[in-house]
Amino acid sequence: MKLRRTMALMAAAALIAALLGGCGSEETSTKTTETTETTQATSMTDEERIVAAAKEGKVGNWGLGNEYEIQALLTKYGQSTDYLVQSFDMDGFDDGSITLASAMTYNELGLVVNDYEGGYKYGDSVGIIDMNDHGVAMLEDNIFCKKSFAEQNPNTVKAFLSASLKGWEYACNNTEEAAQIVYEAGSSVSSDHQKYMASEVAKLIKTDTKGNAVSDYGKMDPEAMQQTLDLAKKYIKLDDSAASEKLGTLTLDDIRDTSYLEAAKAGDFGTPEKTDVSIQLKWLPQAQFMGYYVAKAKGYYDEVGLNVNIVSGGGDIGETTAVNNGTVDFGVTWVSNLISANSGGMDLLEIAQIYQRSGLVLVYKK
Amino acid sequence: MTKRKLNFDSATSLLYPLIFGIVILMMWQCGVLHSIFRTDEYILPYPTRIFRIIIENFDKILENVNSSVFVIIIGLAAGSVLGYIAAIGATVSPKFGKGGLTVISAFNAIPIVAMAPVIMNWTKDVSSDAEVRSTVAKIIVVTLMCMASMSINAHRGLNELKPFSLDLMKSYAADNKTVFLKLRFPNSIPYIFTALKVSVPGSVITALVSEYFAEYRAGVGRQIRENILIAQYSTAWAYIVVACLIGIILFALLLAAEGIFLKRRKS
Repeated sequence: MKLRRTMALMAAAALIAALLGGCGSEETSTKTTETTETTQATSMTDEERIVAAAKEGKVGNWGLGNEYEIQALLTKYGQSTDYLVQSFDMDGFDDGSITLASAMTYNELGLVVNDYEGGYKYGDSVGIIDMNDHGVAMLEDNIFCKKSFAEQNPNTVKAFLSASLKGWEYACNNTEEAAQIVYEAGSSVSSDHQKYMASEVAKLIKTDTKGNAVSDYGKMDPEAMQQTLDLAKKYIKLDDSAASEKLGTLTLDDIRDTSYLEAAKAGDFGTPEKTDVSIQLKWLPQAQFMGYYVAKAKGYYDEVGLNVNIVSGGGDIGETTAVNNGTVDFGVTWVSNLISANSGGMDLLEIAQIYQRSGLVLVYKK
Repeated sequence: MTKRKLNFDSATSLLYPLIFGIVILMMWQCGVLHSIFRTDEYILPYPTRIFRIIIENFDKILENVNSSVFVIIIGLAAGSVLGYIAAIGATVSPKFGKGGLTVISAFNAIPIVAMAPVIMNWTKDVSSDAEVRSTVAKIIVVTLMCMASMSINAHRGLNELKPFSLDLMKSYAADNKTVFLKLRFPNSIPYIFTALKVSVPGSVITALVSEYFAEYRAGVGRQIRENILIAQYSTAWAYIVVACLIGIILFALLLAAEGIFLKRRKS
């Protein structure tokens, strides 16, 4: 009896030890190969890096509608469009399981580079591949609403745009103050990271995909919009044949309307039809959305007679669904997400394009 | 007489759910469900559209089903075997056993969404192939979930014996091995099925949710999530229907197996 007991215990212990030992030894072996790789890879071009990482299957992206620019980039350099699914931290990049990791310039890249709380402290030892430089940029954060909502409440839409753009303009010119406003409004990240994010977001708003300065906030540049739509048609894969067909026939007129923006800029609008409105963000409260927080804090929404409720995102119900349901009136999404939603049968309308260039980069260790 | 009655009973027990299902489907197709739930045909697409998508994408769906079912079956088998071994261990040494089983069952209380990322991270170095390491991680999550229900139930089956049966065995001077084979093991079989009735649907859900967190994009659960996030509800519903079918088929197989085993045992 006693003997059997000890034998069972020993067997269990041996099993656990084998399991842990096995993992441990493999870990060290991968680490050594990593260091040799990084020493070789100092003077590669972007293309060489993309090809090398794709061949190893070590290009990372979050998927879930964020992957199209990466797929376009991989296709451009003759690689398959497969990528590794990256979690919402940069641990995969840190431990080398992803060599080309997706990062937003204003968020993940800051965490990789900076040494504040939560940062990975890489400093200048990392480089980036910018989607804008490779002609595969797709436009991101915009403002949209339901087409029927815009038709029924044109003055509300114009007033909302007018005040929001004023908020964005102030935020981009006073990024530290804007970061503080977002932080106080219930930020999801540290105040240091918020400041970094605000300054990076301002760059995306004030510069277009070609690197030219933009002064006309919110404009829907036809060329960049068309590039976004063309890439979306190529890389958004829909299994539903009805949706897929509709995607193929979409034109810019099906996804955006510039008239509200023009009227808002000219100040040409009357009293809002609906005064209590809400906007659904694409993600948690952070400086990515500082324009709305600033407009609210500075009273710009009050000035045009609106009472705005800012609804944080980040859950599994997408912003397109929330707006289409009528749960919220306005939303912030990426143009590609709006395109796939409209292909599936939603009737959404972009009314302003806040980010003028892609904030997505691939980050690598030099 | 009894035989005919039995047939009638089993016919109605199949017929009523079938009629109920058809009524629901018809209400769904006619939009009655939509007005009850105050939703539109976008969030809750019509059955005809869902089935058209399933037919059109049969190969792709099958690929994802294969990936999910592989994880479910291996995880279920591994978890059940390990759980049973743990139950035997706990029976052999009750001192450590009780505590050990409590620890194992504590795994059941950890939400999958919390455990999956931890396991994904842990298995990072298992293979250089993302598909392999993702599959291993998903299997481990399912295994842990299935272990708990099996170990608790099997432990009861191995120990809640008929009064005096253990005394009887001892009076025959049966050794531990004989007690196990002739008494404890047969006694535990119905408990094994009780455990499986919990862990079969549990393993389906666990596998689908753990796919959310896998590095490699594969599986029915992954497709559901991706399609919902890019607002493709019809396609997501096609995969939801497929996920339901996987659960129903596995459960039906389990019931059939139970019928065979327990009937043989009775006769």
